[in-house]
Amino acid sequence: MTRDELQDKIITILTEDFEFEQPGLDDNLRDDHNFDSIDAIELLGKIELILGVSLSREEKEKAMTIRTINDIVDYIETIENSRNK
Amino acid sequence: MLNRFIDCIVTLICWSWFIFGFIFFFSWAYAAAVLFSKNTERSFQRLNSLFFQIFFRIVRLTSPSHSIEIDEDVAAIGSAVIVSNHLSYLDPLLLIALFPRHRTIVKTRFFTSFVFGWIIRKSGYLPASSEGRFSSLMIKQMDSMESYLKEGGNLFVFPEGTRSRDGKIGSLNKGALKIARLSKAPIYALQIDNTDTLFTPGKFFFNTRIKNQITVKLIDSLHPEYDHNPPSTSQLEDWVHMAFAKSLK
Repeated sequence: MTRDELQDKIITILTEDFEFEQPGLDDNLRDDHNFDSIDAIELLGKIELILGVSLSREEKEKAMTIRTINDIVDYIETIENSRNK
Repeated sequence: MLNRFIDCIVTLICWSWFIFGFIFFFSWAYAAAVLFSKNTERSFQRLNSLFFQIFFRIVRLTSPSHSIEIDEDVAAIGSAVIVSNHLSYLDPLLLIALFPRHRTIVKTRFFTSFVFGWIIRKSGYLPASSEGRFSSLMIKQMDSMESYLKEGGNLFVFPEGTRSRDGKIGSLNKGALKIARLSKAPIYALQIDNTDTLFTPGKFFFNTRIKNQITVKLIDSLHPEYDHNPPSTSQLEDWVHMAFAKSLK
């Protein structure tokens, strides 16, 4: 999946499942969209479905520092790359 | 003057249970649970529940003008996310006493206290914030939340966060509703009344001499079809607002 496709997929999830309105790629998810740690955990479940893998506790903990959509895409790419090594 | 003196003595007796009850009776039981229990979390929750059941027995013995009435429907709740109004510090203690299998969300700063922090961590409670070192704890508790609820456990939360001073429902924290959605759990709304008459926010002493009935009632329950027609968090929030508004009429 390309970065643009991944980005679109994340925006669709945030819009449809998390009720975001017109999220920007560099919006602060917490401050601008009230995205909290429970949302992050729900999103991680959806990322697992996208990647078709189960995330480890350590990988999940890293996700808790995510602040923007760009961070989410970076995070997914990092996981993907580490799994493909 | 005499009344004030009685309030003072009763308050001291009740709060003494927290220190001496724990040291002389319960600290050993918690230690035994850590060493020998196959399910430490479940054992800790049961001990917490028993500790506060005894606390409320002491309250009723020392303040006989207060009674406590719990709806039968409330005591039967299991495998659910429970949301309740919040009037007094006694509310969480009352719900812990009521539900032997319970988790709840606790202010993060309590997790750093020495004994209390250890007990609430072992009891499977969740920190209100997952900043920094608490992210690991939050992920751990959330990983097991769905199975915990399916096995009969309850998660109770006061979505207003802080105690209400005027009895009206304030803005709601959506965390519990998100957990319900994520874990596909039904939601029960409870109405607690008159705990603030016994222990008024901002006061140190129990108000022991007034005739008062503390009640816990089931206002409504929601069993969403999560697989076929999953509700949004906003829809769940609207439902909780409506349930509480209905109860205040």
